[in-house]
Amino acid sequence: MNKKNNKDDQLTEWKKKFEAETKTSRADNFIINTDEDIGIKPLYIEEDIKDLNFVDVGSLPGHDPYTRGPKASMYVNRPWTIRQYAGFSTAEESNNFYRKNLEAGQKGLSVAFDLPTHRGYDSDDEIVMGDVGKAGVAIDSVEDMKILFDGIPLDQMSVSMTMNGAVLPILASFIVAGEEQGVAVKDLSGTIQNDILKEFMVRNTYIYPPDPSMRIVADIIEYTSREMPKFNSISISGYHMQEAGADNVLELAYTLADGIEYVRAALSKGLDIDDFAPRLSFFFAIGTDFFMEIAKLRAARTLWYKIMKDFGAKNEKSLTLRTHCQTSGVSLTEKDPYNNIVRTSYEALSAVLGGTQSLHTNSFDEAIALPTEFSARIARNTQLILQNETGVSNTVDPLAGSYFIEKITDEVASKAWEIIQEVEELGGMTKAVNAGIPKLKIEESATKKQAKIDSGDRVVVGVNKFQNPKEPKIDVLVIDNEKVREDQIKKINLLKGSRDNKKLEKSLNELTEDAKNGNNLLYSAVKAIKNRATIGEVSKALENVFGRHYATSVGVSGVYGKYFEGNEEFMHVTKKIQDFEKLYGRRPRVLVVKMGQDGHDRGAKIVATSFADIGFDIDMGPLFQSPKDVAKDAVENDVHAIGVSTLAAGHKTLVPELMSSLKELDPENKIIVFVGGIIPEQDYDFLYEKNISAIFGPGSNIIESAEKVIDLISDKNNQ
Amino acid sequence: MELVKKVLNNDRASIAKAITLVESSNPKDKDESKELISSLINHPGHSIRVGFSGPPGVGKSTFIESFGTYLVNKNYKLAILAIDPSSNLTGGSILGDKTRMSEISKSQNTFIRSTPSKGSLGGVSYGTREASIILDAAGYDFIFIETVGVGQSETMAANLVDIFTLIVGPGSGDELQGIKKGITEYADIFIVNKNDGDLKLQASKTASDYKSALSFYSKQDNQAAKEVLLVSSIEQQGMDSVIDTINEIIKFNKLNKIFDARRENQLSYWIKEEIRNQIQSKLDLEVGNDTELLDMTKAVIKGEINIYDVSDHFLDKFLK
Repeated sequence: MNKKNNKDDQLTEWKKKFEAETKTSRADNFIINTDEDIGIKPLYIEEDIKDLNFVDVGSLPGHDPYTRGPKASMYVNRPWTIRQYAGFSTAEESNNFYRKNLEAGQKGLSVAFDLPTHRGYDSDDEIVMGDVGKAGVAIDSVEDMKILFDGIPLDQMSVSMTMNGAVLPILASFIVAGEEQGVAVKDLSGTIQNDILKEFMVRNTYIYPPDPSMRIVADIIEYTSREMPKFNSISISGYHMQEAGADNVLELAYTLADGIEYVRAALSKGLDIDDFAPRLSFFFAIGTDFFMEIAKLRAARTLWYKIMKDFGAKNEKSLTLRTHCQTSGVSLTEKDPYNNIVRTSYEALSAVLGGTQSLHTNSFDEAIALPTEFSARIARNTQLILQNETGVSNTVDPLAGSYFIEKITDEVASKAWEIIQEVEELGGMTKAVNAGIPKLKIEESATKKQAKIDSGDRVVVGVNKFQNPKEPKIDVLVIDNEKVREDQIKKINLLKGSRDNKKLEKSLNELTEDAKNGNNLLYSAVKAIKNRATIGEVSKALENVFGRHYATSVGVSGVYGKYFEGNEEFMHVTKKIQDFEKLYGRRPRVLVVKMGQDGHDRGAKIVATSFADIGFDIDMGPLFQSPKDVAKDAVENDVHAIGVSTLAAGHKTLVPELMSSLKELDPENKIIVFVGGIIPEQDYDFLYEKNISAIFGPGSNIIESAEKVIDLISDKNNQ
Repeated sequence: MELVKKVLNNDRASIAKAITLVESSNPKDKDESKELISSLINHPGHSIRVGFSGPPGVGKSTFIESFGTYLVNKNYKLAILAIDPSSNLTGGSILGDKTRMSEISKSQNTFIRSTPSKGSLGGVSYGTREASIILDAAGYDFIFIETVGVGQSETMAANLVDIFTLIVGPGSGDELQGIKKGITEYADIFIVNKNDGDLKLQASKTASDYKSALSFYSKQDNQAAKEVLLVSSIEQQGMDSVIDTINEIIKFNKLNKIFDARRENQLSYWIKEEIRNQIQSKLDLEVGNDTELLDMTKAVIKGEINIYDVSDHFLDKFLK
C-alpha cells in the first residue's frame, strides 16, 4: 500500500470516528466562524497547506518572506524586550516609577501622556480642567520632560513615547531634554508613535486635520532619518483598532495600509526608501483568540515584506516588520478582575509565539484604573516567568509547520490583502479616512462583538457565564486631579516668569511661518522649546495655520438589532419603549456624550447604535464637549436621559459639573443621568450622591442596561 | 399660560418643552399645543426663516456650523431646526447632526434642536411649522430649517420658510437633473459647497453649470433673481456673500410685497393642511374601525358590489 492511499484511508476513518464521537452526520460541517469570518475546521491536514497565496511553508526565519521572524536567531539569541507602558500623573512620580522598574530588570521604558498633552493643551487651559494628569503624565514644557528623565541616561535607555497629536513639541522636548543632559541628538534611541491616521479612525487624539497632520508625520520621518539614526520615527499601530472593536483582519489590513501611506509621505519628501524604512516599527494588540493572534503577526511580516519589496526596498531592515505588542485592554473585565491575570498570560504567550520584538502586559486592574504598584509587578512578572521558566525562547517560531497555523496565517494574509487593495482603490488611507470608511467598518465589527457577548454567543468567564457570587474588592490607584493641576499651573507660571519673551516670540513666529512655507517643522519646534515655549504654545502656533480638526461621525444602525431577532429579552425592552411612546407622544430620547479630552468613543458608539436599535431616539454629542455644552444640548433637545461615557477618569470632576449645569439651565429638569465606562467601585457612592441614576461598568449587558434606563425614565416621568 | 410667558422670555428649557409639546404624537397633547400656538402667534417676533436643503453628503450641517458661527460672531441670535432623516423601521433614530456643529452649539446665542423625521414625507417633520412659531416668538433673528432634500420634499420644506436654499456639492450631475424638474420654482439661492482643496475646480465648474441652467429659467416679473454662490465651509469662505444675498432678497421681497404674500400663502396652505389632517384622522378613526368595511371588502372581492359604491357609501356615512 502506498503512502497516499494510507493517508486517504486514515482520513476516511477519522471522519467516521469523528462523526460517531460528536454524533453528527458530517465532519465537514463542523466549522466555527471567527470574528474575521474565517471558518475554523476541526482538523487540518497536509492538503491544507498546499498552494497557499502568501505563505511559503518551507521558508526560514531571517529569510524572505520573513513569516518566521525578522531575525535568524530570534529569542534564542535575545528574548523579547519587556516594555511596560506607564505614566503617572506627574513627571516626578513617573520618574520614580521608571527608575524602580529599571532596577527590577526592565530594559526599555514607555511613556503614557495625559490627555491635555496629547491634544496640545497646557494644564492651565480652562478647556482641560477635568483631564490633567488623567491616563498619563502631564508634560507642559521641557522642564517637565527633564524631570521625567532625571537620572536616566538617555544615550543608554531606549524610550518609547505614545504621542500622536502633539508629536512636534513632545519630540522636540525630548531632544532638548537630552541635549541639556549632555546627550547628542544622534545618540537618542527609542520610538515615537507618530501614527496619526489611526487617531482619525479610532482614538481621536488628533489636533490638526488629516492633510497637515500627514505632513507633520513626514517632517518627523525626514528629521529622524537625518539626525537620529537610532530612533524609530513611527510606530504604526493597529493596537487601538482592535481595542475599538476591529477584528484581526481589519486591524492588520488598516495598519499595513497606514504604513503604505506613511511610506508614500516620506518618499514625497525626496527620501530614499532605505533611508527611513529600517526605522519604521509596528504595534499590534494581542487579544484572546489565541491562534488567530499568532497568525496575525506571522501574516503581518509576510505582507509587509511584499509591500516593501514592491516599493523597491533593498535593505533587509526595510523589508522586515518589527513590532511591539500589548495584551488587549478591552478583553479585561471589571467583574472578577483576577481572571484578567490569566487572560493576560495567554495573550502574552500568543504574542511571543507570534514572534513579537517587545511586549507590554496589562495589569489586571486596567479595566478599572491605572495600575497600582502591586498590579504592575504581577504584569511584569507574567513576562519574566515566560522568559525564565517556560522555555519558550529556546527555539525559533516553534509553531511553524503546523498545518493549522500555516493555513490560517495564509487566510489572514489573504483577507487583509483584499482590504488593502480596497483602500488602494480609494486612493490610499488618507482619502479612506477622510471618507470615514475604516471608522465605520471598525464600529460595525465592534457592535457585532458586543452583540455576540450580550446574546451569550460568546462566553466571557465571570461576565456572562461562571459569575463569581462574591466579587472581590480590589484597591485601585486614586489620582487627585485637582492637586496635579495646581502643581502643573505653578510650574507653568514659574517658567513663564523666567524666560526671554522676545526670543520666545521670535521662535514661535518662525514656527508659524514654517507651517505656511513648508519647511521641516521639527527644527523650528526644537528652537521654540529651547526658548521655553510650552507644549500648548507650540501647538497653538501651528493651529493658527492648520486649524483644529473636529471629527464627525454617526454610528451604524441595525447591526446590533440583527443579532436579536425574535429574542425575548430584546422584545421585552422594545415593548416597554413602545408603551412609553404611546403614553408620552414620542420615543424615549437619550443624549450619548463624551466629555473632556478623552476620545475613546467605542463604548459611546456601541451604546448609541444598540440603544437606537432597541428603540430609543439617540442624540450623539460631538467629542470633546464641556459639561456646560452637554447640558445645553440636553436641555434644548428636551432629552429624557444623558448617558456619559468615560474611560479616562474624568468622571469625578466632569460629571458633577454636568449635574450643576443642568440644574442651572433647568431647575426642574427630569433628566436621568447615567454613566458608563471605566469607573472604580469606590467612586460609585460619590457619583450616586451627585444624583447619578445608574453606573454601567465594562462588560455590562446592553439589553439589561437599556431596560434599566427605560425603567428609570418611566419612573421619573411618572412622578 | 405659564409656558407662553417663559417662551417669550427666551427661557431655553421652556422653548424646548414647547417644541416637544407641538411634536407630540399623543392626541391628548393636541389641545394644549393648540392653545400654546394660538397665543404665541399673537406675539410674532422678527425672525427670518431660512430653509437649507440638499442631498445627503453635501455638507449641510458643516455649512450650517460654519455659516452659523459667522452669524453668531456678528451677534445674531440663531435657532436651528435640524430634521434628521436617519431612522430605521423597527428602532429609533440616531441624531448625529450635532456632531458637526460643535462650535456653534457652544454659543449662548444659539438654540439647536434635532428632530427625527420618522419617515414623514417632505423631509419636514410633524410640528416643524409650529416649532418655528415658538422660536420666532422667543426672539431669534434667524431660524434655520435643515432638511434632507429628496425629490418632491423640497416643496414642503419651502412652504415653511421665507427663503429657500439648496446646498449642493461639486460634481455629480444628479442635482442638475433636479433643476430641470423644477426645483428652481422653490429655491431662491443655490450654494455650491466644498469650494476648497482638490475640489475647487470642480466646484466652480458646478457653479457655472447651475448658472447656465438657471439662465433657461424665465424669471417672472417682480421676483428676485436667483443666485448661485460658491462657499467653503471648512475654510469659512464665502459666508459674507451668503448673508448679503439673503438680506438683499429679503429686502427686495419686502419692497415688492412678496414677503408678506408668501407668508399669507403659507398660512392658507397650513389651514388647508390642518383641515385635511383633521378629516383624515377622524376618517381613520371611524372607518378604520368599522367591521362593515371588512364585510364589504369581502363582497368586493367576490364581485358582489363595486368598489366605488363602497367608498360612496362610507363617505355618505361619514358626512352624516
